[in-house]
Amino acid sequence: MASVVSETAFAPMVCLEGLVKTRSQSESVFELEVPGFTVQPGQMVAVIGESGCGKSTLLDIIALVMTPSAVARFEIANGAAGMVSDVAALWANDDEDALTALRRDAFGYVLQTGGLLPFLSVRQNICLPARIKGRRLSQARVEGLAKSLGLAGCLDRMPVSLSIGQRQRAAIARALAHQPRLLLADEPTAAVDKARARSIMDDMQRLAREESVAVVVVTHDVELIVDRADAAYTFETVQLSEQHSRSICRPAEGLCP
Amino acid sequence: MSCANPLKHIPALAASHLKHEWILTFCLVIALAAVIAPLLVLLGLKYGTIQTLRERLVEDPIFREIRPSQTREFSPQWFDELQSWPGIGFVTPTILPLSSVISVVASGGRNSELFDLIPTAAGDPLLLENGGVVPTDGEVVLSAEAARRSAVAPGDEITVKVTRSRGGRPEHVEERLRVVSILSPRAGSLARVYAPLAFVLDVEGYKEGYAAPSRGWPGDTPQPYPSFDGALLLMPKPMLPIARSGLIINTGFGRIVDGSAKDAAELLGFPVPEELTVYNLLAPGAPVTITNLRAIEQKLRGQTGVLLPYVRGLDMAVDGSRTAPIGLSIDERQAELLGIHSTPWGRFGGTLPENGQLVHVLWPAATPTTATEIAVRAVGVAELDFPLRVAGSTSLSRPVVPVELLGVLRTATQRPIVFNPATDHFEMARGGYRGFRLYARSIDDVPALYHRLKSEGIEVIAEVEAIERIQVLDRGLSRLFWLIALLGLFGSTAVLVSSLYAAVERRRRDLGVLRLLGFARRHVFFFPIAQGIMIAALGLMLGFGGYAALAQVINHAFASELAPGEAFCTLPAQYLPIFCLATLVLATLASLVAAWRATGIDPAEVIREQ
Repeated sequence: MASVVSETAFAPMVCLEGLVKTRSQSESVFELEVPGFTVQPGQMVAVIGESGCGKSTLLDIIALVMTPSAVARFEIANGAAGMVSDVAALWANDDEDALTALRRDAFGYVLQTGGLLPFLSVRQNICLPARIKGRRLSQARVEGLAKSLGLAGCLDRMPVSLSIGQRQRAAIARALAHQPRLLLADEPTAAVDKARARSIMDDMQRLAREESVAVVVVTHDVELIVDRADAAYTFETVQLSEQHSRSICRPAEGLCP
Repeated sequence: MSCANPLKHIPALAASHLKHEWILTFCLVIALAAVIAPLLVLLGLKYGTIQTLRERLVEDPIFREIRPSQTREFSPQWFDELQSWPGIGFVTPTILPLSSVISVVASGGRNSELFDLIPTAAGDPLLLENGGVVPTDGEVVLSAEAARRSAVAPGDEITVKVTRSRGGRPEHVEERLRVVSILSPRAGSLARVYAPLAFVLDVEGYKEGYAAPSRGWPGDTPQPYPSFDGALLLMPKPMLPIARSGLIINTGFGRIVDGSAKDAAELLGFPVPEELTVYNLLAPGAPVTITNLRAIEQKLRGQTGVLLPYVRGLDMAVDGSRTAPIGLSIDERQAELLGIHSTPWGRFGGTLPENGQLVHVLWPAATPTTATEIAVRAVGVAELDFPLRVAGSTSLSRPVVPVELLGVLRTATQRPIVFNPATDHFEMARGGYRGFRLYARSIDDVPALYHRLKSEGIEVIAEVEAIERIQVLDRGLSRLFWLIALLGLFGSTAVLVSSLYAAVERRRRDLGVLRLLGFARRHVFFFPIAQGIMIAALGLMLGFGGYAALAQVINHAFASELAPGEAFCTLPAQYLPIFCLATLVLATLASLVAAWRATGIDPAEVIREQ
């Protein structure tokens, strides 16, 4: 474990260099190339692209649930003291326990449809990541999060009785409750209308700032993200042959300040 | 990296899931209970019926009794060995049936009745399980029939009269005994008196002519008789041929052989004067007894001569060394003829020397000793230890003891004899008993004991058939139960396997989210297992509830056929934990497939909805 943790002065939250992921399905081959991808602590980074461009694949890799085919550097900041976990080495060692623990400690997730566990109440859902980490959340923190996300009256209801917007807000509360350092959101507003999407994004951004959590948002909606993101990445797709396509992820110039 | 233990949250999550899908859970629990309850009822019926049948046999000690069907002798050693057999509950020796008839008169009553006297001892199930207590010395227990005929109640006194005929004259003794309890009629329809074995043996001994000193009953003491291999007749002059051949007629001796002084020295152990004529009297094939010797002395009355019985080849250790003492009992006149000293215990007569003189010894003067007592171990039927007391010295080369002692030791090589240091007497050891009363510990032990006794050549009677019938039924029902249980087992396992597997498939996304939130593969592995165990536990509870209800109905329905305390459907408490454990283990095994399936879920597949 010690070999994959090193100390750096100002470590980026996520640092990816020279990533290649090849996925083949029957005859067709899809190749994702990421020359460089960095998330600074507290930054909001948008990953923008049409479906099939590989943005979800990139998120899977950052989320530590998909192994890269090749990667030159893949580091995730681990703890406030500037420690860094060498994910590339963890994958090379197939150290699944360490990857799971890293995921548990450092990450929060908001899935397309929330990903709340339907058999737990909203409160239990919000408390679960902290409990898995071995911590107990104060009721004040749960109530406070719920209040700032407009979920005050919903804590003891089951997810099935919430509207889709409320579910997404509950998912954001769950993703932030255990104080991760990186929030991964995969099309968090895909299922709600524009007005609600904006309001949810606002709340997520505001809370991430307050908690100084870095955010990676995957979305196809440029409009929604353009004013909020500190950095943005987009994809350039090249059709190499009938069956072979390549997608390269580059910083999107001009989209962000 | 983290001291978190996510595994401990799995059971609560699994329980929440089951609660959330409570209708499916309920159906599963019912399905399981629907297998468990009938199995329990079946097991309960099997156990209950067999138990009821067995208890009806077990209740009555008659079914545990094994009786000898012929009279023969059983040695005390045999009883000692029998005690160590597995499955023996109670055993006591009994006496000859003829010796066991006594006449009983109730105190204040006039009529005397003839009852059978049966020995008993502590732990006798026939008495204890038929409302009796075990009598101690001076007490008796009567069978129901004996109590009816003699019209006595517990606490009454009875007079027992034991009769015998000795030397053609009728004799009897009486003993007053207290009746401590009366057995229920179930113990047997015969008129019987149960008394401690010691009393019964005294009665038997009295009937055979012996005394019972502790009870003040007169009679013979069972003293061993001396026996000899032959006798030497030493005469100053040869007998006329007609007198010689007439000597042994009607004396029990078969042959008279001329001998020499050398033969005599060899047989007696000391030299005899050369001028004496030696005759060797023999009784081939039979021991020479005092009666035989007396008959010879009668015939020799008025003639000068010495009759010296002898014993050959006795094996004994005197003071630790193998020495054959000289057996000699002569008076002054005989001593003079033989040219040696007389013995202090006098000449050989019709009885054994009294006042302890039987174990006196004259020690050779050539090897003086300061000891007053010399230990002897003789080898007979059993080893026989006794002391010899030094009563003087002798000029002969070997110790001299009364010839009667050698005669007793010769008898000891044929019948067991013991030395009683309290009375300084040799006594005949008890030969053996003429039967036994034996109860097996449980009815299940009866067939094995029955067959073991038969294999030892002892003909016995026991209720083996009734017991074996139940055992066959038990085995049959057990087999039936296991067949049905196997069927139910397959069914319920299949239901659990498929349901848990389906639950994992149905909840792939949720399990994926759990993985994403930080549960490892090995953590979600336990999710279906926890659910399997919970469903099984609930199924067990419902199953036991169903069983309890149905068992009550069954027992109620058959109440008229059953005695109080009996039940057709019942389970012993020790079955329950075994049954529960087996069910839970099975549920765990059934959930392994689903658990394995759950570990294969990739969190990547749930990040997006497909």
